[in-house]
Amino acid sequence: MHISFLIHNAYGIGGTIRTTFNLARTLAEQHDVEIVSVLRHRDAPVFDLGPRVALRHLVDIRENGPHYEGADPAHARPARVFPAAEVRYRQYSELTDRRIAQHLRRTEADVLVGTRPGLNVHIAKQARRGPVRMGQEHLTLDTHQPALKLALRSAYPRLDAVTTVTEADARSYRRTLRLPGVRIEAVPNSVPAPAVAAADGSGKWVVAAGRLTRVKRYDVLIRAFAQVVAARPDWRLRIYGGGTEKAALRALIDELGLYNHVFLMGPANPLESEWAKGSIAAVSSSLESFGMTIVEAMRCGLPVVATNCPHGPGEIIADGVDGKLVPVGNPQALAGSLLTLINDDDARIRMGGAALASSARFDPAMVAGRYEALFGELLARRRGSRLHCGLHRARGALLGGAYATKDAARAALRGVRTV
Amino acid sequence: MTASSQLTATGPNTKESSAIDQEPEVPARPGPDGTEPLRERGATTAPAELRADCIADSAGGLTFDLNVPQDTHVTWSAALVLRLRGGDGADDEVRLPLGPNGAGRLRAVLPSTVALAEGRWNAYADLGDGEDPRRLLPGINDLRSLVDRRPLAGIGRLGVRIPYATKFGNLALRSWLRGPHAEAGDILVTPDGMTVSGRLYGAAPAAGARAEAWLRRTAASAEAPAVTVTVPLTVEGAEFSFTLPYAEPAGHWEDGSEPWDLWLRLTEGARPVRIARLLDDVADKKQVFTYPVMPVRTAAGHLRVGPYYTLDNDLALRVAGPAGS
Repeated sequence: MHISFLIHNAYGIGGTIRTTFNLARTLAEQHDVEIVSVLRHRDAPVFDLGPRVALRHLVDIRENGPHYEGADPAHARPARVFPAAEVRYRQYSELTDRRIAQHLRRTEADVLVGTRPGLNVHIAKQARRGPVRMGQEHLTLDTHQPALKLALRSAYPRLDAVTTVTEADARSYRRTLRLPGVRIEAVPNSVPAPAVAAADGSGKWVVAAGRLTRVKRYDVLIRAFAQVVAARPDWRLRIYGGGTEKAALRALIDELGLYNHVFLMGPANPLESEWAKGSIAAVSSSLESFGMTIVEAMRCGLPVVATNCPHGPGEIIADGVDGKLVPVGNPQALAGSLLTLINDDDARIRMGGAALASSARFDPAMVAGRYEALFGELLARRRGSRLHCGLHRARGALLGGAYATKDAARAALRGVRTV
Repeated sequence: MTASSQLTATGPNTKESSAIDQEPEVPARPGPDGTEPLRERGATTAPAELRADCIADSAGGLTFDLNVPQDTHVTWSAALVLRLRGGDGADDEVRLPLGPNGAGRLRAVLPSTVALAEGRWNAYADLGDGEDPRRLLPGINDLRSLVDRRPLAGIGRLGVRIPYATKFGNLALRSWLRGPHAEAGDILVTPDGMTVSGRLYGAAPAAGARAEAWLRRTAASAEAPAVTVTVPLTVEGAEFSFTLPYAEPAGHWEDGSEPWDLWLRLTEGARPVRIARLLDDVADKKQVFTYPVMPVRTAAGHLRVGPYYTLDNDLALRVAGPAGS
């Protein structure tokens, strides 16, 4: 198969970029995979794409580069295809509309995968006939503006499939958007096995990681940790990440007198070696589209105490088996669950082992396998439906046409492979 | 591999980088193999970069494992080279032999017994191919055994080495070499002063042991500061603690932000021992270990006083004037 991902900017840093790279790299072991980045603002991508995935851009916005296109007058005119209600709308233009359309018209891919709503709309409206059209939702339907939901509702019926990262979000898509004939499937993000040995559960550290923003509710975690310290002053908390809430969290730590026990570590990359220093991971968010850090911590052998917030944590953690789920915004409950694991070495180590085992289902090989199966089914369905439509016409023309299409597809595949 | 002097390291770097979704403090690093179509890379391809993973042991030793590109020819004289930044003496370069580690990578070991002068050491790889040593990039640093490091108190001289990524994204080590050493632990801050507790290494305190704060502004020399504040030191076994009231340092304030360096004088006439926080995995303590700043009222006005760690991870006290002064 020739699989082509369409992404906003492959050269940045973010969850979508990271998970797309993981998936592309794994699929590339068996298939021809390319990532098409609408924008390019720096020379090399931050995350490792491996040697087999092709990467190219559509619009070069490297300001000091010789091919800078940001000053093109068409880039100053508003986009018409990319939906105005999308949060990235301002970065799109007549120029991006044109380049994306050109790419989707000329592509030789068997499968086109969009990685954000606006790009999924492009694929739905502009892809040439033939390839499977898939739109990925990396956030959630519920968090989109009503105007964007309307735009998706009118464009998405032309997709073959929409994938979400949780079952909960897949249910919202089925219930709210009602897209007849569009396959809606939840496929979780993938997290590779860490390059460091798993934690052994002996260190007296709780670890949390994420951007320091309101939605992560680190204030709740810090308040919970005050109760932990009262009972177990030998345990400490590290919070990795930077963000707008840093000063407020710093002030809270000082106010609660926790400056010997709670540490704001700043951003860390890679994170896996930091998880491995802990024995328990904590997640206090009020909202997690997926819960990437939960899976990362589990893959390092840590049991995770997480809020049972929408959408991801409850689908990742088996409460009481490989971690614990607590109510949102409740420091008492969070402290209680942390102390349960702190005070019971055997349970902590057992749950850490269970987390290590159960998180293997998020291995890129497993997740890529699910995508591969989905692509295969959708390709077969597309070819089948072509056959089905043809029945309404002359039979001979149908068969000839179907075979011709099949042959053309084969030739295209061969052609692509030799590039 | 036919000749014994030729090693070919194999195995692509498939290391996954995981990151918090935000701009890191070091510049972006590209994929190790070059992921762009050749036409975009042009004719002048830079030599493939060399990346080293680093594992620390609890004694202070470090093991480096290098990913070298396939078909890289490495000779018997290959070495990982450490160079002290700003140094040019004979002891300011350390060469550690690089050999195959059995997993298609190259390994070098820095044992705890090899002394490195205090400072920042840049890391290079000399593949023995006649080329200049090449700057190493950081891979995965597994420093978990440093996190709660607690050597035996009787250790004569304490060596601490923490690998880190420089702000330009290169691999470097911070090194400390101290004996005796006073390791700062918890610090309790109250409105009137602070209580510092910690642990002594390689020290034998006697009666009259004390803690001293030296006003940096007036220090004529390291041995003879002009203005010092002295408080008694409590010692129990290897554990020490002292309480430093803020009133006296605040009373010496003249202008701006005035740092005081903190020392222990363990016996009368002995060399003072700098108090520092060295025994963990955090290369730069200043941003991570921070403490409340307390308002202190003096004849000169409302001052702000609080402990902090210097860029060398030594403990200090800052007395700052009223905001905006």
